Amino acid sequence: MEPLDVELDEGELELPAEPMHLNMGPSHPAMHGTVRMVLELSGETIAKVDVQVGYLHRGFEKMCERGTWAQVFPYVDRLNYVSPMLNNIGYALAVEKLCGVAVPERCQWYRMALGELARISDHLTCDGAMAMELGAFTPFLWFIKAREMVWDILEEETGARLTHSFGRIGGMAEPPTPDFKKLCRAALPQILHLLEEGERLLLNNRIFLDRLENVAPISGPDAIAMGWTGPCLRATGVAYDVRKAHPYLKYDEVDFDVPVGTKGDTLDRFLVRLGEIRQSKRIIEQALDRMADDGPVNCDDPRFVLPPKSDVYTTIEGTIRHFKLIMEGARVPAGEVYSYTEAGNGELGFYLVSDGSGTPYRARIRPPCFQIVGGAQRLLEGRMLADIVPTFGSLNMIGGECDH
Amino acid sequence: MATFKLDGIAVPFEPGDTIIRAAHRQGLTIPHYCWHPGLSAPANCRMCLVEILPKPGQKPLSLDILELDKKTGQYRPIQKPKLQPACYMAAAEGLEVLADTSEHVMRARHDVQEFLLLNHPVDCPICDQAGECTLQDYWLEYQKTPKRMHDEPVHKPKGVEFGPTIVYDGERCVMCTRCIRFMEEVAKDPVLDMRERGNLNEVVVSPGRQLDGHYTFMTEHVCPVGALTTKDFRFKARVWFLRSAPSVCQGCATGCNAHLDYDPRYNKAYRYRPRDNEKVNKYWMCDEGMLTYKEAHDGRVLEASVDSATRTTAQALEEAKALLSGVPMDTVAIVLSARYSLEDNWALRELGLVLMGTRNVYVSGRPDGYEDDILIHHDKNSNTRGVAELVPGAKSFEALVDDVAARRITHVIALGGSAPVNAGPLGAAKLVTIAAHGGPLTQLARVVLPATSWAEHSGTYVNAKGMRQIADKALEPLGASKPAWKQLADLATALGYEPSWVKLKHIRGQLIGSASPDASTPSLPTSASAE
Repeated sequence: MEPLDVELDEGELELPAEPMHLNMGPSHPAMHGTVRMVLELSGETIAKVDVQVGYLHRGFEKMCERGTWAQVFPYVDRLNYVSPMLNNIGYALAVEKLCGVAVPERCQWYRMALGELARISDHLTCDGAMAMELGAFTPFLWFIKAREMVWDILEEETGARLTHSFGRIGGMAEPPTPDFKKLCRAALPQILHLLEEGERLLLNNRIFLDRLENVAPISGPDAIAMGWTGPCLRATGVAYDVRKAHPYLKYDEVDFDVPVGTKGDTLDRFLVRLGEIRQSKRIIEQALDRMADDGPVNCDDPRFVLPPKSDVYTTIEGTIRHFKLIMEGARVPAGEVYSYTEAGNGELGFYLVSDGSGTPYRARIRPPCFQIVGGAQRLLEGRMLADIVPTFGSLNMIGGECDH
Repeated sequence: MATFKLDGIAVPFEPGDTIIRAAHRQGLTIPHYCWHPGLSAPANCRMCLVEILPKPGQKPLSLDILELDKKTGQYRPIQKPKLQPACYMAAAEGLEVLADTSEHVMRARHDVQEFLLLNHPVDCPICDQAGECTLQDYWLEYQKTPKRMHDEPVHKPKGVEFGPTIVYDGERCVMCTRCIRFMEEVAKDPVLDMRERGNLNEVVVSPGRQLDGHYTFMTEHVCPVGALTTKDFRFKARVWFLRSAPSVCQGCATGCNAHLDYDPRYNKAYRYRPRDNEKVNKYWMCDEGMLTYKEAHDGRVLEASVDSATRTTAQALEEAKALLSGVPMDTVAIVLSARYSLEDNWALRELGLVLMGTRNVYVSGRPDGYEDDILIHHDKNSNTRGVAELVPGAKSFEALVDDVAARRITHVIALGGSAPVNAGPLGAAKLVTIAAHGGPLTQLARVVLPATSWAEHSGTYVNAKGMRQIADKALEPLGASKPAWKQLADLATALGYEPSWVKLKHIRGQLIGSASPDASTPSLPTSASAE
C-alpha cells in the first residue's frame, strides 16, 4: 500500500463527537457463557457498559419441581459445567442436610478428592482461557492438557468426562475404583509440572503482566458489598473461603491455606486461582491418604439410598425399596434448608423447600458468579475496550449457573 | 362425646366403636391389612397391634419372653406388654393407647411386615398393584430392612381364574380375607373361602362355582395387595401415570361416587374406583357400574353430521337453522335426557321454553333394567330425578312417539341418543339431536351435534335419593365434541336467539334457584312455571 502523502497532525483529525455504541456478545469468543455487553465507547474508553445476562436461562429451578429429588443431579451438572462435581456435592449436601443424614467417612474423603479435582479443572480452564484470549495460546494448551488429566481420572471414576451426575442423596453413584488413588497420585505432579511451565511462560511475559496488573481492581469492602465470594473476593485480600469459615465434609481436618491477593486486580484474580490449584493438590493428597480402601460409601438408609442391584432382582424387599425410590422418589422431610459450599467461583448455595413428598417443592440456587457478574459493570466503566477481555475472563462467568 | 387417647391425642368415639374405627374417623391411620371400614374385623393380619397402658394401680398385661443379648449371645428372660389388635379392641373412656410412640408396637409392625413378605414373589415390576400397594408402603414405613430368609419361598398357584372378571395370584396374597368377607357380608354370596393353614393358605372359589355376579370387581378393590386383579385393568396401565377425577357413576340412578382414573398423556380413561360416600354407595360399586368408564370412549358421537354424513359443526348448525326456521312452535318439541347433567338439560329447557317458546317437553333415557337391594337401581339413567325437578310436567317418551305419529309434533330437538322404547316412528319428524353417544335418536336425526360425555365436562346429577352430585371433568373433549349446554348455546345463536348462558357458572347460578340443594322438597323451576 502506498504511504499517505498528507502529513496528518493528531490535532487536525476530526474524531466523531458522538459516542460509539458497540455490542459485544452474546456470541463472541471472549464472552464465554453467552453474555452480552452493550458498550458506549468514547474513543477506546468505555463510557458505559450494560452487562446483560440470561442468554443461557433454561428454567433450571422450575425443572427441579417436576422430577424426584435424585433427578435434580443431572441439572446441577449443567450449572457450572466446568466443575460439575462440585455442584453435585453441593446439592447432595443440601438434600442430606434437609434429610438429616450423614454419609460415611469414606464417602466424605472421596467427595473431597473428587471435588478438588473439579476445582483444579475449573481454575485451569479459567486461567488458561484468559491467557489464550490475550494471545498466549501455548499456556492454554498446556493447561488444557493438565485438565485432560483431571478429566481422565473423573472419567475413570464416573464414566463421564463432563456431566458426571455422580452425586447421590446419601452417597455417591459408585465407590472409588481400585486405581483411584494411584491415578491421582500419578497425575497430580504432572498437572503441577504443566502448571508451572505455563506459569513461567506467562508471569515472565511483560505484555501479559501489563494487560493484567492494575487492571480493574476492586477493594475488599466493595467486593463484599456486592456479595462477591470465591477467588474474585480473595483476590482483594479478604480470606473468606467456605471451606475454612464454615467447614463441611472433612475440610476442618486437612491442612490447606487460603491464597489471597492484595490489590484485587485482574492479576490477583489470576494468581489466586493458580495458588488454589496448589492447595487443592494438597487437599487431594491428604484425602487420599486418609480415605479407607474399603467400607461403605453410601449410608444405609432405605428411605434415600438405592439397594444393591442384586437385592433388587432377587428379593421383594429390595424390589420395593428400589421401586419406592425410583417411582415415587425419596421422601425428603418437610422443611426448608440453605446449604452452601465452596464451588469453583465461590459460595454455591442451594435453598430447598420440601413439602414432604418425593419432589422438590422449590429449589433455588445461589450461583457464585451471578453476584460477580453483577459487579462487572463497575469494574469495566472507565477502562479501555481491550481490558474487557482479561477482566471478564478473570471473573469466570459461567452462563449455566449464572442464568437462573 | 367420650374420648380415649391415641399417642396422646384425644380421639372421640361412639359406643361400639373399635379403636381403629374411631381413629379412622378422626383421620388417624393405624396401619392395617385385613380391617376395612365396611367389613367385619377378623383381626388376622396383626398389623394394627397397639399397646394399651394399664389403668393406674393395675397390673399391666404382659408376656414373658426370651430376648437375645447380642453381647453375650445368651437369651435372658424379660417381659413385654401384650399388644392388642386395634381393629377388635373396643374403645373405652379414658383408654391410653400407644401406637407410633410405642417401641413394642413399631417392633411388632416391623416383624409382621417381615413375615408377610417372607414368601412374597419379586413381582412389583409386573404387578398391577405396584404404586398403590400397601405392602410397598408399609415396608418403607415400618420395616426398612432387607430380607433375612434366603430359602426358596413357598410357591402357590399364580394366574388362577376365579371367574369371568377376576384373576388370583396366591403368592402375592397376604390372607387378609377381605375378599372372602366382602362376598359374604356385602354381596351376600359366600363363594370365596380359604383353604389349608399357615404358609400353605390360599383363597379358593367354592367347588362347582366361579366368582361371578354383580360385585366381583369389588374383591379386587378391597384387596390391599396385588393378589386379585381384574381382567379389565390387568396389564393395561401403570397407576403412577394415572390421574384421578372425582366422578359419579352414570350406570343407574343410584349415582355411586367414583374416582375416574385416566391417563392425561393419551386422554384415555382406564378405570373406575369407588369413592367413599356413606350416604350413597358407602365403599362399594357394582361391576356394571365400574365398567361404565368405557363409555367415555365407546359408542361416541365425535363429529357433527347431517343426514348421517359427517359435516363441520358450523355446517350442521346451518342445516339445523334451515330445518327449524319458520316452523310453528306448537309443532316443535324438545326432548330432555335423564342421562345428561342438570346443566345440559337446563340449557335445552331454556332454549325450548324461554327462547323458542314451545310448550312441548318430553324426557328420554334408557329403559329400566336389573335391580337388587344392594346398590343397583332399576332406573338406568343417572339424572331422572334432576330432569323431573327441572320440568315437573314433562311428558314421557311414549307420548312423544304418539304425538309424532299423530303429526302433532313435526320438529324435535333432542338431548341424548338413547330412547326407552322403540323410537322408529320418530323418523317422521325432523330431528336435531345433541348427543355424546350414538343411539336410536342419533340414527334417526337429520342433524347431529357432538356433545362431550360426563367424563369431559363438569356436570351435576341428581340421584334417586334426590342428592345433587357433581361429576368433575377428567378428559379433554374428544373429537369435535363440546359440552351439550355449549352446543345448545351455539344452536340458539344459530337460530337467531341470544342465549343467556355463555359459561358454566351462568347455568350453575340459575340452577341454585330452580331446585333446592338437597332436592328433598323440589320447588317449581322458575322459567317453566312462568310459561
